[in-house]
Amino acid sequence: MMAIRELKVCLLGDTGVGKSSIVCRFVQDHFDHNISPTIGASFMTKTVPCGNELHKFLIWDTAGQERFHSLAPMYYRGSAAAVIVYDITKQDSFHTLKKWVKELKEHGPENIVMAIAGNKCDLSDIREVPMKDAKEYAESIGAIVVETSAKNAINIEELFQGISRQIPPLETHENGNSGTIKLGKQTAQTTRRCC
Amino acid sequence: MSIAEVATSLLRTEETFSAYLARINNVILQPLLQSGSFENSDLFLLLNNHFQVLWGLTEENCRTLKEAFSASESVSVQDVYLVWKADLFLDRYIQYFSTFATCAVLQGFEHAAKNKSEVWKSHKPALQQFLADFSLDASIAVALHTVLHKPFRDQLQQYSLIFSKLEGAAGQCPESEAIADATQKFAKLLSFVSQVLDEACLTRSLWKSLGHKFTDVLCIAERRLLEDSRNLTVYASTGRSDRVLLFNDILVLIQGSNFRSLDLKLVWVDVAERDVGKYALRIAAPEEEFFLLAKDLKARAVWQWKLNQAVRQALNGKRDFPLWSRDGDGSDPPHCRHFSFTFRAEGRLKNAVYDGEWCLGRPHGKGTLTWPDGRNYVGDFKEGLAHGFGIYLVPCVSEDHYDCYKCHWQEGKMSGYGICEYGNETVYKGYFKDDMRQGFGILEKASSTKHSFKYTGHWENDKRSGYGIWDDKERAERYIGMWHEDQRHGAGIVVTQSGACYQGTFHSDTMVGSGTLLLEDDSVYEGNFTADLTFVGKGKLTFPNGFTLEGTFSNRSSQGLHTQGILNTSGEQQDEHMAKLQLGQKEFPVEMRWEGLLNQFLEYIRLGCQGDMEEAFTGFHVQTSKELRKSQEYLFCQRENEEVPGKVDVLEDIIAHQEEETLQSYLERAFQNSLHPLGKLLKALTLAFQATYSTIGANKHLLNMAQEEVKHYAQKIWEVYLGFLHLASERKGQAYAEDLENSGLNGPSAVLPLILPSFYPDLFMLYMLYHEKEDDLYCQGIVDLSQETDVKLLEFLDVRKHFWPLKDLTLTKHQRRSLVKDRCFLSATDCLRNLITTVDPQEKLDILQKTYDEIAKTISRLLGEEFNPSMDDLLPLLMYVVTRARIQRLGAELHLIRDLMDPTTSGGMYDFLLTALESCYALIQKEIQYHQSWHASQDS
Ligand SMILES: Nc1nc2c(ncn2[C@@H]2O[C@H](COP(=O)(O)OP(=O)(O)O)[C@@H](O)[C@H]2O)c(=O)[nH]1
Ligand SMILES: [Mg+2]
Repeated sequence: MMAIRELKVCLLGDTGVGKSSIVCRFVQDHFDHNISPTIGASFMTKTVPCGNELHKFLIWDTAGQERFHSLAPMYYRGSAAAVIVYDITKQDSFHTLKKWVKELKEHGPENIVMAIAGNKCDLSDIREVPMKDAKEYAESIGAIVVETSAKNAINIEELFQGISRQIPPLETHENGNSGTIKLGKQTAQTTRRCC
Repeated sequence: MSIAEVATSLLRTEETFSAYLARINNVILQPLLQSGSFENSDLFLLLNNHFQVLWGLTEENCRTLKEAFSASESVSVQDVYLVWKADLFLDRYIQYFSTFATCAVLQGFEHAAKNKSEVWKSHKPALQQFLADFSLDASIAVALHTVLHKPFRDQLQQYSLIFSKLEGAAGQCPESEAIADATQKFAKLLSFVSQVLDEACLTRSLWKSLGHKFTDVLCIAERRLLEDSRNLTVYASTGRSDRVLLFNDILVLIQGSNFRSLDLKLVWVDVAERDVGKYALRIAAPEEEFFLLAKDLKARAVWQWKLNQAVRQALNGKRDFPLWSRDGDGSDPPHCRHFSFTFRAEGRLKNAVYDGEWCLGRPHGKGTLTWPDGRNYVGDFKEGLAHGFGIYLVPCVSEDHYDCYKCHWQEGKMSGYGICEYGNETVYKGYFKDDMRQGFGILEKASSTKHSFKYTGHWENDKRSGYGIWDDKERAERYIGMWHEDQRHGAGIVVTQSGACYQGTFHSDTMVGSGTLLLEDDSVYEGNFTADLTFVGKGKLTFPNGFTLEGTFSNRSSQGLHTQGILNTSGEQQDEHMAKLQLGQKEFPVEMRWEGLLNQFLEYIRLGCQGDMEEAFTGFHVQTSKELRKSQEYLFCQRENEEVPGKVDVLEDIIAHQEEETLQSYLERAFQNSLHPLGKLLKALTLAFQATYSTIGANKHLLNMAQEEVKHYAQKIWEVYLGFLHLASERKGQAYAEDLENSGLNGPSAVLPLILPSFYPDLFMLYMLYHEKEDDLYCQGIVDLSQETDVKLLEFLDVRKHFWPLKDLTLTKHQRRSLVKDRCFLSATDCLRNLITTVDPQEKLDILQKTYDEIAKTISRLLGEEFNPSMDDLLPLLMYVVTRARIQRLGAELHLIRDLMDPTTSGGMYDFLLTALESCYALIQKEIQYHQSWHASQDS
């Protein structure tokens, strides 16, 4: 019997950095330059194996418009991980990323796994954010960092694998299910049995 | 021998007998009766009556037999009246001999012999001559005795002879059965007669041998000695007992010159346990228990048999026929008997009268116990003590008032569930133990009376102790918290009518030290204050605007509040958290709040769900106390056999519905059934919940306590359900609830929506109070946005133009597209409006999902392709729908769903959609500012 773990992951970052594109690539292995308004994805799931567990990512995209930014806490509440995206061709987006990290540190769930994605690495010729800056910054805050391209499917899988690895393994005693499942406490990760 | 010959011989003996009876009549009875009265002479009157009847019978029969002979050639069995009139003969002979025996016992013949009257004296020679035929040298008394019974017995012997001849003569014929039957009856009659005579003889000699002291009391006409310890040795275990006498109605123990007698109707006999003595019989009677010790097994067996026969015959009110027989009705007397008895011995029952069922000398079964002081108990008894259900009335000092306990009893003590209506107009409904209130219970003084109050909570040794809710109706206050020895003691919350509430620590009924006072205007005071909410001493007052005032407060009479301290106007302290501070969760862990109630149900299961214990654990199934108030007689007589409609075997039923598909509807029915333990539990929890959070208790600071309590109920009810299921499967020998466990069903989550309707109104009220401010803002936002036309609203909300469903609109001549209102996304809007039509959080989430689907459908229809909104598009669209749906109290709804939804779905689609809806709610609250600046920018 393999345990399925549900992991809530939320995406944060400036509008236009490619958050939705990353989700689309990861879940549907699909990318469209002139992204059609009808094939969006606000909530998606994908299950991947990790060691002897299955990780089911419950991916929450966030809206890009400015007026919705104040709502972010509702979205990262209860997340096991946050993917914070910047556009390597836009210095500003890296700046915004830092603001997100700060907010998460202050108001986000404890032990949230942070993964930084420098997206659009296919456009490295017009790069504004040096790889080194991102690496150093990630290290300073203890986050994962990868440069990705939703367009060319670079490092997208790796990004999520990186998250999986950071999730602490299940404690064994949680398995003793005696019919008295606790109601109440919201937990970031819920466990279910499959098969 | 032919039948005719038999008939002839019958006629001959009858004629001889008749002639003989004529002589007795002439020579003995008539002279005796004419000789005036002497001791016991009326007995002879009676004897004469029976004699005349017997004589008449004999004569009559002679006559009919003669007629038969003369009327026809052959005489048949039909003519032998003995066969057909056997019962008549039996009856006459029994009467005659019974009276004769009484005469003998009471020495009637001696008295007659000593008769001094002239008539008798003058008659004596003739008499002596007649008697000489019978016994030569005996006294007149003995001779009279002989003359008046021996010929009758002889005649019965003759009849027996006739019968055996008749059987031979008749052979196999239609009448043989009747002949055999009559033969047997006459045989019985013979043995009856000899037994009666033996008994009389024994009894007579006993009376002669006993002193006057005994006979004056004991000697009565119908009393017969059945057994005597001098004849068959037994000793009574009570002190020195010289002699044990068994009569047909009493058992007598003689000790020196004293004796005790026991009414046989109140005597139980059984073989005693080994350790009492080898061959002992236990004799039980009201207030009496001793042993009869026999010498050997046989002696014990005889005494036991005789005692039991005597008891049974005494209870029947008549002797057997014949008196002793191994066959026939030789069964033991009933164990359970019904009679009335007045207790005499010192102790709690002295002078009390018990009328009811008995067993082994003790009240056992149903009965009524009445004390001279007016107390009385009606109900179940076991081995002499109240046990089961019973009603106990205790008169109060002031007349006409009673404390009335309707409750369960165990070994004489109130134990388990009960209702007590006290004489002082208070009523307790709850659990007892050892005659004291213990565990969970509600004590209430009706609101129509002075000083009315209500306590809902825990008890210990008859006193309020543990967690409990106290409503002081006069002060219009509710205390929620800990008690000790009838006083508020420990952590406690006081909620007032005005909406203010405080939390603090109580000691001997008053608050001590500092507390937190939450005022109705959302200002918060932390420090010392009095019960009427006056600040006294050190404290810190935080105003709703964030200003704080810290210092020492005082309140001199009529001069208002005085303070010396620092006013901080920086507003740093402003904190949403303070205004919505939640009380009590830490102080009263949810697991302990209604422990006393829940434990009763779990204990009931633990002890195996014994049917007769159900009420004691789970409370009465009557809906109202009015029903219970119906007369005591009603309860006494009919309660047991009451066939309650809808009452089912819980365990049978539960096992039949354990499959996941039927479980839900089963539970639903159980909760609605006031007879089902789960229904009762839910009802009781509802009462506890309402006692806390209804009326005055509707206070936003109690929301978290309330919602965690409801969730806890779901969990405990599921636990109770599993307990029943476990027990049921065990009984059936099935593996315990395995299917249920493997199904991955989340029990408490399945129970919650089913019980939620019971708590919903009060709980929702708390959510409404909690979100009052936000809901007001939201409402203003909605009203503001409602004024916009559809086009303007879509534009304002930044809905991508592609998605404007204006194509859908069919306009009348007078309408312009840009001016219509409430025409877009109607299916989604209508769907979302259903949110308030259900209490089940999951159903609410399903409605939300459907709303989402409807939005997507509307747009796919518009664009002719599949639509999957991205987050950038979803929120504006949802905003539009929410604005148009105008759901009242959306903040309360959202919070309730969030609190009560299945936690295992968190992070999933439902959670996501709920969050999206929460986003809309938050945005609409802020919308007014945006909206106004938007209008400004539009206008310019
Ligand atoms: N070249 C390139 N363009 C990308 C990449 N990812 C996204 N984009 C484009 O960036 C724009 C914004 O992407 P989107 O996923 O909507 O960003 P979001 O606002 O963060 O969700 C779209 O035009 C995408 O086609 C990428 O890896 N490389
Ligand atoms: Mg996006």
